[in-house]
Amino acid sequence: MLAEILSALVAVATFQNLLIMAAGIWGGVIVGAIPGMTGTMAVTLALPFTFYMDPVPSILLLVALYKGSTYGGSVSAILIKTPGTASAACTALDGYPLAKQGKAGKALNMALYSSVIGDFLSNLSLIFFAAPLAALALHIGPPEFFMLMLFALTTVAGVSGSSLLLGMVAAALGLLLATVGEDMYGSFRFAFMPDMQAGLSIAPVLIGLFALPELIKLIVMRAAKTEEAAALGAQHVTRAEFMGSLRSILKGSVIGSILGAIPGIGPSSAAFFSYGEAQRSSKNGANFGKGELEGIAASESANNGACGATMIPLLALGVPGDVITGVMLGAFMIQGLTPGPLLFQTNMHEIYMLLIGMLVSSVLLFFAGKITMRMFSKVAHIPQTLLTPLVLLLCIFGIYSIASSTFDVAVLLVMGVVGFGMFLLNIPAAPFLIAFILGPMIEENLRRALAISRGDPAVLLSSPITWVFAALIVFVVSLTIRREITKHKERRVEQ
Amino acid sequence: MTKPVLRGVLIVAFFALCAFVLVPAFVPRPAFIPGFAPPPDMWPRTVSIVGVVLGALAIFLALRGGQPVEEKVETDGSSVPQMLLRFAGIIAIFVLFFAVVPYVGFLIATMFLTLAMVLMTGERHYRIWIALLSFGGPVLLVLFFHSALGTQFPKGELAKLFGF
Amino acid sequence: MKKLLGSIAVAVFAATGPMMAQSYPDQAVTLVVPYGPGGASDLAGRALAETAQPFLEQPVTVMNKPGAGGMNGARFVSEADPDGYTLLLARVGMALSPAVTPDNAVPWDAYTFLGALEATPMILAVRADAPYDTVDDLITAIKDSKGGMTYAASGATAIDGFTTQALLADNGLDPLTAATLVPYKGGGALATALLGGHVDFVAMAAASLMPHIESGDMRALMVFAPSRVESLPDVATAQELGYEKAGQITGWSALYAPKDLPEEVVTKWHEVLGQVATDEKWLDLAARRGSISTIGTVDMTEYAKSQYELFNGLAKDFGYLPE
Repeated sequence: MLAEILSALVAVATFQNLLIMAAGIWGGVIVGAIPGMTGTMAVTLALPFTFYMDPVPSILLLVALYKGSTYGGSVSAILIKTPGTASAACTALDGYPLAKQGKAGKALNMALYSSVIGDFLSNLSLIFFAAPLAALALHIGPPEFFMLMLFALTTVAGVSGSSLLLGMVAAALGLLLATVGEDMYGSFRFAFMPDMQAGLSIAPVLIGLFALPELIKLIVMRAAKTEEAAALGAQHVTRAEFMGSLRSILKGSVIGSILGAIPGIGPSSAAFFSYGEAQRSSKNGANFGKGELEGIAASESANNGACGATMIPLLALGVPGDVITGVMLGAFMIQGLTPGPLLFQTNMHEIYMLLIGMLVSSVLLFFAGKITMRMFSKVAHIPQTLLTPLVLLLCIFGIYSIASSTFDVAVLLVMGVVGFGMFLLNIPAAPFLIAFILGPMIEENLRRALAISRGDPAVLLSSPITWVFAALIVFVVSLTIRREITKHKERRVEQ
Repeated sequence: MTKPVLRGVLIVAFFALCAFVLVPAFVPRPAFIPGFAPPPDMWPRTVSIVGVVLGALAIFLALRGGQPVEEKVETDGSSVPQMLLRFAGIIAIFVLFFAVVPYVGFLIATMFLTLAMVLMTGERHYRIWIALLSFGGPVLLVLFFHSALGTQFPKGELAKLFGF
Repeated sequence: MKKLLGSIAVAVFAATGPMMAQSYPDQAVTLVVPYGPGGASDLAGRALAETAQPFLEQPVTVMNKPGAGGMNGARFVSEADPDGYTLLLARVGMALSPAVTPDNAVPWDAYTFLGALEATPMILAVRADAPYDTVDDLITAIKDSKGGMTYAASGATAIDGFTTQALLADNGLDPLTAATLVPYKGGGALATALLGGHVDFVAMAAASLMPHIESGDMRALMVFAPSRVESLPDVATAQELGYEKAGQITGWSALYAPKDLPEEVVTKWHEVLGQVATDEKWLDLAARRGSISTIGTVDMTEYAKSQYELFNGLAKDFGYLPE
């Protein structure tokens, strides 16, 4: 085995491979950081180039783009409250307030450190635990999936801001909106026009809800602060700050690595899960959502952690967990490699090359992130009155070009107006988005489980995994209710 | 009516509309789904009813007091009608945008939208930057997406008339 | 001034002229794949885009437009300008959906049929540790379970649901209640559901199943295709086993365009497809996907019509549509 690893190391450590990975990572970070452009776009854009490359470098390029764009999403989330990907939504919750306090540099650095650590640990788990994690992933049937996602939904309590009740209202709105489109059995729900049959895509909903209300606020209230953000370079994460967040980073990396290995969960849900967990267990919990570095650490370590782990079901089972790994599966097939159990028997050399390359690209991510951070720090000098329309323009083009759909652009603008309405009513946006993404997974797996059990609800508590998560849900919910009641009493005494 | 009460009423009204009007009318239940499997309207109906309950709870708590203090919305001191007018302006421009895309094409429509948005923020300095952003920006983006992804943007009837 | 106007006119003509001239194609052609990236249809679309490019002498860009069982992308193309720059990678769903849900689908003949591309076999598979070695074993188990057996499909009226339902109907069982359908989204999810033992069997496109059959985790019981699959020479087709309805079902891809396509564009594509048909790369990629190239062997207009009629008949049989 050692000889194989060494020969793979020699094969992968060429100047050309390093160049490809560096270009992929950096390109990914930049694409991710530009509002309206997504990692999926970067990966599909690069796919035709891989037809003319050797198998291993071509997959490394795609993986590098995926990792880079997942980190890059945090840059725009922090600087302009426009998460480049849904998985950076929780990063925006703490990152944007920090940027407003003039601590954008700290936030960006923390995001980078936790992304790199999450990514590196997740690659290690891919190398050492691919087989057991893939086996675990297969045990996650509809009842387990349902319980897991229901538990992830409790994160809503952590991102609701001052009022849990309004957070739950926002979550209900998100769950409801997610049902628009094709039902799992093939009929249509709320399809008021043919375009709605395909449902609402995540990208326009996400950007409409987070970025657009900023522009509308600027126009309607005109309370623009023109203060210059402090120079970024001087703002390092101190040792104490890093150590304070280390627990959340490590926990986030583990959460990301495990959840990422389950096909269909993906980086966004892992980030929500980790953010909720960090918020509950951290001593800084109360400061989450107001500009807490630990929140960024939890969210970013988990989404990049999931990124590497999504390769586990792809390589070990031949099952793509999300759209991007779907594209990678296509790339493998075109190269004549069929991912799945056989790949580990027939193409061990390529597998080792791939794993080594992925570890190297984690390191490259660090440097690419540092450089990009400096480039994008200038964004802080653009006046808000020009920056927010620029973001709108970029988002309109980016979202249109995903599917050449004017309808998606309409969704973007309408969600912007909805987001502004929610802002006026003090209804928080984050629970809406989390519920919108988790909702279909919760509903579909509930219905699948009940179809398999022929309507017997006992199926939802039929395995140890479901017991564990059911217990966790009960624990968290009762804890939250107790805390709400105490808070409520305190306020009544004060008034 | 105070803001919290109004908010509660709006929430109840929206979810009640969904639960009792939209779900029955727009969520069909295909006959081929077996009786023991939850039908397509189970989930949206449940969520809507939960929403009604949450809204009712919001009204109840608002009337009873003890709710968190509402954050003040920061403004530049404009009057409410003035702000409403601005908001109506945004909606009008959004609607106009979609109305003109089929005629003037995507490029010109986005130029118009961006320019309108910048001017509505009240920005009157940086004239060159405004022009570059609203006219140069869309052109660059069309060129980029067309060459990189092969995206075909709606050209518009008017543009076709001139032979584009 | 006149000179200036003149040069502007020339410039405008130069920029727009080629589009009016008789030289299709003069820019990239968009091939719409009406399903998500990474699936069997996406791979077919990308293979075509790759191999057609040199013959077309313009890039072919693939755009995924998933949703509504493929109807989202189909509708986009059927409503696009018939200029030859927006084409559709059609799948069996383009004939199936209008046959089963006529109210919500694009009619089967709302296109110009440029040609057939490939036949994609479907496979009936169970887990390798399941006690069924033949289709008959499985059918007996289904009969004994009284509806308790489950199968995964993309939806009740999707092609991978119809495969199972046709098989049930052929065995005198009620296609809708004899086994329980559990809906999943996408080939990967369907394969995982079987692999994890969450459902008892599937009957779906070969591409997502082949790796697991080759690794010995799944067992193929039957093939839905006109002829046996090269890599599974011992697995009989539904026709061979004497199943009338199931024997007619198979998967396919074709190239469609909006209706009223100019003659010149149609000719160009016939020419290009003719060259693709014998292209080694195309054949090689098709074999890797587990499909068989059918370019030039099928009259697509007629085939699409017969497929529509087949599924329309089955939909009435199964009770999705009134007789």
